[in-house]
Amino acid sequence: MPLMSARKLAIHCAFLAMTLAFAYGQSAAAAHHEVVIKNATVMTVTHGNIKNGSIYIKDGKIAAVGEAVNAPASATVIDAGGKYLTPGIVDSHSHIALDDDVNEATSPITPQMMMKDAFDYQDKAIYRALAGGVTTSLLLHGSANMIGGQAVVIKHKYGAARDEMLFPNAPRSIKFASGENPKRVYGSRDQLPSTRMGNFAVQREALVQAQDYMREWDNYNEKVKRNRDDKDATPPKHDLKLEALADVLRGKLMVQIHCYRADEMLTEIAMAKEFGYNLRAFHHALEAYKIADQLAANNIGIATFSDWWGYKQEAWDAIPWNAVMAMRKGVRVAIKSDSGDYDRRLNQEAAKTMRYGGATEEEALKMITLNAAWIVGVDDRVGSIDIGKDADLVIWDGYPLSSYGVPEKVLIDGEVYFDRTLPGLGTTHYKEGE
Amino acid sequence: MQFAKNLSVILSGVAAVRSTAAAESKDPYSHLNARPGSSKPVWSGHSCPLPLLLILFLILSTLSTPAFAQDKPIALKGGKLLTVTHGAIENGVIVMQGGKITAVGAATSVNIPSNAQVIDTTGMTIYPGLIDSETQLGLTEISAEQTTNDLVELSDEIMPHMHTAEAFHAESVLIPVARMNGITNAVVAPDGKDTLPGQDSFIQLAGANATEMLLIRDNAMPLNFTGDQRRNKGGFDKQKFPATRMGLAAQLRQAFIDAEDYKAKWAEYDRKKADGAQNQNNNKDKKSEPTAPKHDLKSEALIPYLEGKKTIVLAAESPSDLQTAVSLANEFKLKFVLNHISHSQPVLDYVASLKVPVIVGPIYEAPKEDERYDAVYSLPAQLYKRGVKIVFASYSAHNVRNLPDQAGFATAFGLPYEEALKAITINAAEIWGVADQLGSLDVGKTANVVVANGDPLDVKTDVKQVFIQGRAIPMTDRQTQLRDEYSK
Repeated sequence: MPLMSARKLAIHCAFLAMTLAFAYGQSAAAAHHEVVIKNATVMTVTHGNIKNGSIYIKDGKIAAVGEAVNAPASATVIDAGGKYLTPGIVDSHSHIALDDDVNEATSPITPQMMMKDAFDYQDKAIYRALAGGVTTSLLLHGSANMIGGQAVVIKHKYGAARDEMLFPNAPRSIKFASGENPKRVYGSRDQLPSTRMGNFAVQREALVQAQDYMREWDNYNEKVKRNRDDKDATPPKHDLKLEALADVLRGKLMVQIHCYRADEMLTEIAMAKEFGYNLRAFHHALEAYKIADQLAANNIGIATFSDWWGYKQEAWDAIPWNAVMAMRKGVRVAIKSDSGDYDRRLNQEAAKTMRYGGATEEEALKMITLNAAWIVGVDDRVGSIDIGKDADLVIWDGYPLSSYGVPEKVLIDGEVYFDRTLPGLGTTHYKEGE
Repeated sequence: MQFAKNLSVILSGVAAVRSTAAAESKDPYSHLNARPGSSKPVWSGHSCPLPLLLILFLILSTLSTPAFAQDKPIALKGGKLLTVTHGAIENGVIVMQGGKITAVGAATSVNIPSNAQVIDTTGMTIYPGLIDSETQLGLTEISAEQTTNDLVELSDEIMPHMHTAEAFHAESVLIPVARMNGITNAVVAPDGKDTLPGQDSFIQLAGANATEMLLIRDNAMPLNFTGDQRRNKGGFDKQKFPATRMGLAAQLRQAFIDAEDYKAKWAEYDRKKADGAQNQNNNKDKKSEPTAPKHDLKSEALIPYLEGKKTIVLAAESPSDLQTAVSLANEFKLKFVLNHISHSQPVLDYVASLKVPVIVGPIYEAPKEDERYDAVYSLPAQLYKRGVKIVFASYSAHNVRNLPDQAGFATAFGLPYEEALKAITINAAEIWGVADQLGSLDVGKTANVVVANGDPLDVKTDVKQVFIQGRAIPMTDRQTQLRDEYSK
């Protein structure tokens, strides 16, 4: 595809030029990296709303928040004009910016796939979600495979260099899936798995292999540990696939499972117990309301839709009260997009939980911020307006939990990356055609 | 499915206004309204307003009896009325009688009939039933399950003789889900993968059966020219005609020319026959009997559109497709409204010059690569500014209930609130030729009325009661049943 490479080259050149063009503006800010946002209705998520609140940002982190903050006079001041200020939205289930490389659907077990390797940091979908207030996304493998690949966590710093967009030191997640999708993909090729029995047999077989692999390595390590010069100790062959699965068993990978039906969630819980690993969250989980007690008891979160339903058989029992019913039973609930469309207005999706089941404003907001951050494993860093957290913030035109709320400015690590009032795309770090 | 059956029974007293029956003052189903032996509703005799929830409970608790039919007037008293056509009325009263709106106004000025059931709607917002200008309601249940889909006939690109009315599944589980959010009327259209996929229907979302719910059969016909109709998938070896836009246009042109010829042949035949009859009368000559042309359903279906008697819904996305589609429509003097045009921002003045309404969006369509994030979100406002009449559509089956969200969202990008509300009520009623019956709270119109706890365009707003033809619709669907079952 020579045309594509030419185009990509042009974008690269544009990017270089842009970097130069911004050098001056950046250096001024870089000198102190201190920002004050004042005159905002601060929705902290963890400790209520602050009318006429201010936030002091130092080195990309929230250094102070309250009705008044102490900040040096040299800090850049953003007057929010009384508008709402929320933490940046965290999308706990996304497949954008992967150039359609979402499913390595050539085998039902592909845990060695790294979504980071497919991450297309120039994808405009990152920008469009940013303009909708999303600052962090979990980019997951698709659901064609029982065990797909390892996720990448990104910050939506559109216009920044690739590696600057990777969420630093985010914990590793792996995507599992069961149900109709793996059935359809492999069943349509007359391959295993074509049934739910097949699904779980394939998954169990992979985990058993991983156990054997772990045992081989443990034995070897034990021998070497006992006697460094043990002539019988030959290292087993390294196997990326089994190594990844072994990390699941070692608890080094957070397991994120695409699952719709209640019975399947229970089977996944049973299998996790059988092999001794923990589940972080069920994704979609449209029948969570049927088994919310069990999810809560096992400390498993859900990343669900607000009201999608009926697109396939396993989504037939979806109800829009799912999120709130599960939450009331003690489940950590996130509303996610799974879509390059819905990630542009997750605030509206969260607001629907206020209608369906009567979530409070804070509970609704939590589903797209702090709870979503917990699912991704970065809730100590983002997801609320608290001292020490990353200054990922959204200033809203209009009330965010409504049809009318639209981000005016979006900051990531204390820097404005999107400003609706600017001409063109509204981006500050990316300029089209330069 | 049991629920759907129950619902049909419950609603068996609900009469639908059909385009032809609408003008008649007599309700054709009125005999169902007063059955012998029907118990009087428990609220009978109350003259003071009861709280809405209590009343609704009472209504719902008597649903299984035939007394559900609107056999007496209902007055909603004390809410904020969004009339759409003559502003908002705080502390208003609306009276529904015989399936029609019989009074609308301020509480101080409306005389409530003495026998009326008065429902206290203080704090509520009341507005006309919403109209979705393109759905696939009744054509699908579970998208991925092909056996439940009757969306489009892909065997040919020119299928004007397909009638959605003939596939419409009145007992669809999706219909109660949609109307629970105040959508009372909708256009049912086939999927857009054919150039001429068949004819639309205009439905009411309540009725004993499809006959009652199909207010207008064949009310319009989509003409799709978005590129999606090309049979060019899977490489050169798998392509079939028409694989290009040239092919689509040529094929379409041929279809309309065939229909014109067909019409002429029949006219010729009719003329000869008439002449023959005259000759017969005059000369008793039996030899001049003409031969009738062969019937052709496709051409026949196109004739009302060629004659400008029915509306073509002309779908295009990009400026070039839009202009090609308009040229084709003009070539055959078709009467049309525009559909989608999500990526036609560069030619909105041209769109305005056509002086036709636009079914816009969905505004959630992703912008083009080089476009600003809000290029499509702002399209309704851009069209409105140019004087174009717009309507919204969900273009969906399962998500019809979210129709008003889109209208609300468009206001965040410059569409005035009143216009957004009109785009899912009166504007739609006008485009579909039912503005004398639907689309506003006006005396004489069908009593399709929604009672909600707030702003109809906000995602948070909960619809408390929907009236269709003056009857309180049970506010239950398969989803509330599941909710209640697992809330025990």
